[in-house]
Amino acid sequence: MRFKIAIVLLLMILSTTISTANPGGKGDAIRSRDCAGSCHGSSSTNGSSGAELAIQFQSEVYAGLLTEIETSVSFAEVSSNNMVGLTLLINPDGAKDIPANDGWEIITDPNGGTNNYVEVVDSFSIESMVSQSWTLRAPSNSGNYNLYLAIQHGSPDGGIAMTGISPVQSVTVSEVPENLPRLADDWQPVNSRLLGEKTEITLDTVNTDSVAVELLSGGEIINLEVVDNKFTIPAAVNPGVVQWRVILDGEGPAQTSPWFRLNAVEPGWKVDQTALYMQGFALLILFAGMVLIQKPSSAPNEGKKYDNTAEVNSQFVAIKEESPTQTNTVRPLPAGGLPEGWTMDQWEYYGHEYQGGSQ
Amino acid sequence: MDYGSVGILWPRISRGVPMISAGTFHVITTELTVGTFALSGVAFLLCALNKGPSSRESVAHWALLAGLVATPFAIISGVNATSGEGIDNPMLANKLLLSMTSVGLAIGVLLRRMWGSTVDLRHSCVGMTSVALMLTTAGIGGEYSRGETLLLFIPKDTVMLFPLWASITILALGLLIFAKSAIQHRS
Repeated sequence: MRFKIAIVLLLMILSTTISTANPGGKGDAIRSRDCAGSCHGSSSTNGSSGAELAIQFQSEVYAGLLTEIETSVSFAEVSSNNMVGLTLLINPDGAKDIPANDGWEIITDPNGGTNNYVEVVDSFSIESMVSQSWTLRAPSNSGNYNLYLAIQHGSPDGGIAMTGISPVQSVTVSEVPENLPRLADDWQPVNSRLLGEKTEITLDTVNTDSVAVELLSGGEIINLEVVDNKFTIPAAVNPGVVQWRVILDGEGPAQTSPWFRLNAVEPGWKVDQTALYMQGFALLILFAGMVLIQKPSSAPNEGKKYDNTAEVNSQFVAIKEESPTQTNTVRPLPAGGLPEGWTMDQWEYYGHEYQGGSQ
Repeated sequence: MDYGSVGILWPRISRGVPMISAGTFHVITTELTVGTFALSGVAFLLCALNKGPSSRESVAHWALLAGLVATPFAIISGVNATSGEGIDNPMLANKLLLSMTSVGLAIGVLLRRMWGSTVDLRHSCVGMTSVALMLTTAGIGGEYSRGETLLLFIPKDTVMLFPLWASITILALGLLIFAKSAIQHRS
């Protein structure tokens, strides 16, 4: 019997398949490639993605200033949920590879966050090319820098996780020319807002005489009014992204900023946490009490297995009944009183023997 | 590596150097909780059926106790691991209410046993209910973190939240019942 069970268990183990994909994704985050690419299991179980990956830079990238890059994914055969994980990296080694290690700062990722790893759902297929925009702040030191785009996704048959990385993409970061109109180094765009709320943005500029702001909405460009470097983006009715950019004029050559993305999201779910915690404790105490209030049921014999009190008591009673009482056995004293040297106690116990002997 | 989600536990334990993230710690504590509760559930099922080894009663209660010990760690690490601030999702609220109900039932079962009650069908069913609620909690957690679940038929996005005064009333009532039952059991 045991042998048969062992055979069945062995067959069950052998019939398992290896599935290392993480179909729901891991969520956007700042991740090294080692984590982004092989969190699912051993990296040795990953397949090699056939997708072609590329990064497109702006013609001029200035040290410490904002720039936009476009990443593209072509010929990706993905799983049925059309989800792909994209990672922006500075080397393919899997260590010390996040852009911040070279001084890059991610201002806006394709999903409106500030992460180097994003999960994107789009129409990825063997015949399509999908592009995404990232807004970065270039390293503060000029020079040549490398960037890579890594990818991971499922496979159409749902088997193993696929990973890949682009060839090295080099970019030259130049010193900022004198009098270049630009946004201040410490200025940060707003990435998200709630539905139904207007967004007022204040620009902080350097070497700039005039500013124009363009809003891209539904494929149409709208010029927004800027007063004292402030402008307002109208409230969003539906969740989604609007893009805007700044055109700066000054003594130096005119500059156009990257497209900034403003993500409108629904207000999060809110609850009175005090009431929730109180209800939780109330339920805990109530249900514990309801279980305890039930009439305790004890088995008739259990617990009394070793309790022989009744038996012992009955034996005591029987012994008591069998043994004559002291009052009946005390013989009357002889005419001369207690024998010499006897006490009354001795007479009570041994008087009958004395009388038997003397008779 | 992203240490943004590292909870408040680890810096204290490791003198400021994060060891593992709260998310990883949450996986460990959740596995412990779910595993011991599931073992307890199987043992309670055997008790209800009156089948299996004679150790089933001890296994059911000791496993339930182990699950109870692991539960607070799972809750705290779960709160630390979540990316948002506090409870900002109806599934998290339902997880809290279900797990507290489960813990209440489990405490009741253990105390009842400790005070000498036998493991009859009713006792076993309460134990199994506690286990079922805890496993449902874990199932909702799976849907929250991975977006997938087998518990398709449960309305996880609906939260039955009492007003504060009702919760306080229930709490007082629960304490009253608890105290009364404790006195009854001891007398």
